[in-house]
Amino acid sequence: MSILTSGYPGISGFILFWFLFAVALTLFVQRVYFNICLIKKGRPENRFDRLFYRLKRALSLILTQSGNLKSLTFKDPAALGHTLMFWGLILFSLAYVIFIGLGAGMGLFSVYNGSTFERVSFSILDLAAFLVIISILWVIIKRYIIRPERLARPQNAEEKITQALLLTVILVLMVLHYLIAGTGYALYAAPGDWPPVGSALAGWFAGSAITLTSLETLFTSLWWVNYLLLLGVLIYAPRSKHLHPLASFFNLAFQSLEPKGSLRPVDLNKPETIGVSRVQDFTWKQLLDLGACTWCGHCHMVCPARLSGKELSPRELVLDLREHLFKSGPALFKNSLSTVSAVPVDGEKGLQTDAAQKPLTGSVISEEAIWSCTTCRACQETCPVSIEHIDKIIDFRRHLQMIQTTETARDVLKNLRVRGNPWRGTINARTDWAEGMGIKIAGEDRNIDVLFWVGCTEALEDRSLKIARAVARLMQEAGVNFGILGEEEMCCGDPARRFGAEHIYQMLALNNIQLLQGYNIKKIVTACPHCYNTLKNEYPQLGGRFEVVHHTQFLAGLIKNEQIRLNGNIRKIVSYQDPCYLGRFNDIFDSPRQILQNIPGIETVEMAQNQNNAFCCGGGGGRMWLEEKTGQRISEMRLKQANETRAEALVTACPFCLQMFEDAARAAEGESILPVMDIAELAAASLETSVKRPETAGSNING
Amino acid sequence: MKNIMVCMKQVLDPEAPLSLFKIDAAAKQAVLPKATPPVLSPFDENALEAALKIKDTQPATVSVISLGKKLVRTVVKAPLAAGADQLFLLEDEIFSDFDSCLTAASLAAAIRKIGAFDLILCGIQAADTNAGQVGTGIACLLGIPCITCARKVELNGDRIRVEKIMPDGFDVIDSALPAVVTTSYEAGTLREPGVEAFMSANKKPLTVWNAQQIGMDKSRSGPAAFLKMEQTAHNIKCEMLEGAGPAEQTLQLVGKMKDAGVF
Repeated sequence: MSILTSGYPGISGFILFWFLFAVALTLFVQRVYFNICLIKKGRPENRFDRLFYRLKRALSLILTQSGNLKSLTFKDPAALGHTLMFWGLILFSLAYVIFIGLGAGMGLFSVYNGSTFERVSFSILDLAAFLVIISILWVIIKRYIIRPERLARPQNAEEKITQALLLTVILVLMVLHYLIAGTGYALYAAPGDWPPVGSALAGWFAGSAITLTSLETLFTSLWWVNYLLLLGVLIYAPRSKHLHPLASFFNLAFQSLEPKGSLRPVDLNKPETIGVSRVQDFTWKQLLDLGACTWCGHCHMVCPARLSGKELSPRELVLDLREHLFKSGPALFKNSLSTVSAVPVDGEKGLQTDAAQKPLTGSVISEEAIWSCTTCRACQETCPVSIEHIDKIIDFRRHLQMIQTTETARDVLKNLRVRGNPWRGTINARTDWAEGMGIKIAGEDRNIDVLFWVGCTEALEDRSLKIARAVARLMQEAGVNFGILGEEEMCCGDPARRFGAEHIYQMLALNNIQLLQGYNIKKIVTACPHCYNTLKNEYPQLGGRFEVVHHTQFLAGLIKNEQIRLNGNIRKIVSYQDPCYLGRFNDIFDSPRQILQNIPGIETVEMAQNQNNAFCCGGGGGRMWLEEKTGQRISEMRLKQANETRAEALVTACPFCLQMFEDAARAAEGESILPVMDIAELAAASLETSVKRPETAGSNING
Repeated sequence: MKNIMVCMKQVLDPEAPLSLFKIDAAAKQAVLPKATPPVLSPFDENALEAALKIKDTQPATVSVISLGKKLVRTVVKAPLAAGADQLFLLEDEIFSDFDSCLTAASLAAAIRKIGAFDLILCGIQAADTNAGQVGTGIACLLGIPCITCARKVELNGDRIRVEKIMPDGFDVIDSALPAVVTTSYEAGTLREPGVEAFMSANKKPLTVWNAQQIGMDKSRSGPAAFLKMEQTAHNIKCEMLEGAGPAEQTLQLVGKMKDAGVF
């Protein structure tokens, strides 16, 4: 392959090669720099802690393709195709560096020419090219012929061209590999069996009527086409909106390392930094998210809001924002970067300036979409490049709630602010459920080992009082020395925070933290996944650090330590609903199942979507208090899924799930109505007498 | 710039659960539940909203006056977060014995002491006593017009235009300033504060006066006096009719109602 050693009319091959390379590289770097500047237009956010760990993790995620492969199913094997394409192209990139860059470019052709290294490498590339071609054909069939819901979305001309162009170029590069190998081996190498395709083609070329000179010209031309296409990709890729191959690695590296259930903290004394209204109000990481999206559409397929017919789709949210970022982005630079070419979108600068100043709500994303999110985290869990959708939606809500003072959820928020609970009009006082149970109140008796954080719903909402009683009954049976805050307990703040009313959240949270610290509380058991998540993952942001366990963990511990024994008087087949804030947010999947296993007579059947893939009840993110006006009710969809199992009852561990499903069951006319209950109610119902209590029960329990 | 005064009362939460409601019969007073905070009377919140709506359209200073004993700061400061400019707290032990007349007198005295006023807004009545006398009382003592039961208040120059709710619709009343207007819930729900207002509430001026400072003292007693305060007990007895069918049960029900002397 002495392409570059031979001169071309008037110019040395080397000079031409490296000149073109320098031009392409300059254009590549210039555009990447522009994209970095665009992302830096976002607000600051520190994602640079534990940098080594971040890079290491991102590299391992990329190389193993595990982010991608987690969504691999028999019905949708696309992740496999991506893995083939990824590894195929990685091998080719290596080969381009070795054989074009170092080999031909540095004149080292003779070093490896005819060597075993070359034959082995080309054999591997033969296989890689085959796999990449298969995956490209797979993509073409999927995107253009089958068009599954996951991928189907209206595209503008530019998006269509980009997509078709990149697919075509990759396909052509693979075919070029075979042809170059074929012609090259026919010209310069001894006949052999390896590489298989290259050698076969070489044999065919050698045996054909093509003259040696023509073959040499063909080889040289193919080589240059191959090389020019590569440089074209280098120039075009960062200019297209398909930044995914470049941005994914960094997006994975800079993903949040905070607990999954904690929202980004807000400094209430800096109102100008609160929430998002315009695209530049996002942080740089939130903007990087937009570039990393590859519209694989997995989020689109798991979002309960989207599936139930609401306006929200996490995929569309991200892609619409990206479209807007590129449209309005250049205007953000004004004078500072006027030398850098603007993105060739709508053209006129005036339009771009308007777009940059325009509020996103109502133009890029509808208010209905913003309020439709149940913050169930299904989208983030499935996203292969760790895009953080929830933080963006909450930031929109923060602006609407705290800056624009929207009407949405006004009554609930006022009740939270004035009365410290979200259940306006409740006829229950916070201790009514405990009447006659002899439960200690922390304010009256400090001698307690464990604080039972009851939660507003269990304390104030009629049906849920039974959960509080069941949990207390089980703890009493086990001899746990526990108490409650009683009338002093305020809402943990989860609904306020998820509604975007951070000021009300902080007011409630700081009040609770002060109270808990005042009573020197160390260990807290909650009966609600939302309280659990907020106390455990969000209070530390405000200085409240406590050991928090959910009642399913605590009860599983009591059962394991044989402090309570459950008998077998319940013969039932049940299905367990993983509450989002217990499961996906806090990885508590086993404790509730252990409890169910330990109730003799109970048989558990799983719903098709369970654990990490569990479908939301529709009550998270404050949706519990908002009317579901559009489309189907999420709770009814999930109840239907439960009805499709053999289960005779639906068991959950969250008062919101319970209420959502009971409402859905009431609305399900004519269909068999599945009773819904909390796991603690089921456990309490099967309670026998406890085994001998240890002297210091309570203090040695680790839930 | 117009000066608008809004009188707001701290009351026991009318929405608090019944089981928390206790009275001290000897002191003839309701007992504040320990951890359940009081609220501002919802009708007075409507008055504040009416004032803020005027402030939305023109420069105006909105001053809020609250009177009582043991005013809970987080509760009575809420109007500042909602958009009021300053707060006057009239706080004294003796106020707990004051009837509507003395309350009106105290508020009128405070308003005179504050100085310039153009419009005084009150809720149509307090959510705890439902007396509905303070607004008119203040107007009477200050010798200015009073328009009650307003659903809309507009301020144009030196005059106000008020829509007053009537059983069959509403009257439109034009009046000179200064004047007192009492508002009904139709005047609008009080706005929720945005974060800037919420955070700035603590920086706004707050003045506290005791009874003496506004010229009220113990020797003054009202013409009306509380005789007795008691908590009514609802004894509900539920009885299931044993009859075989609806016809029989109906006859049993009629019989029981006859026995009970309902007819």
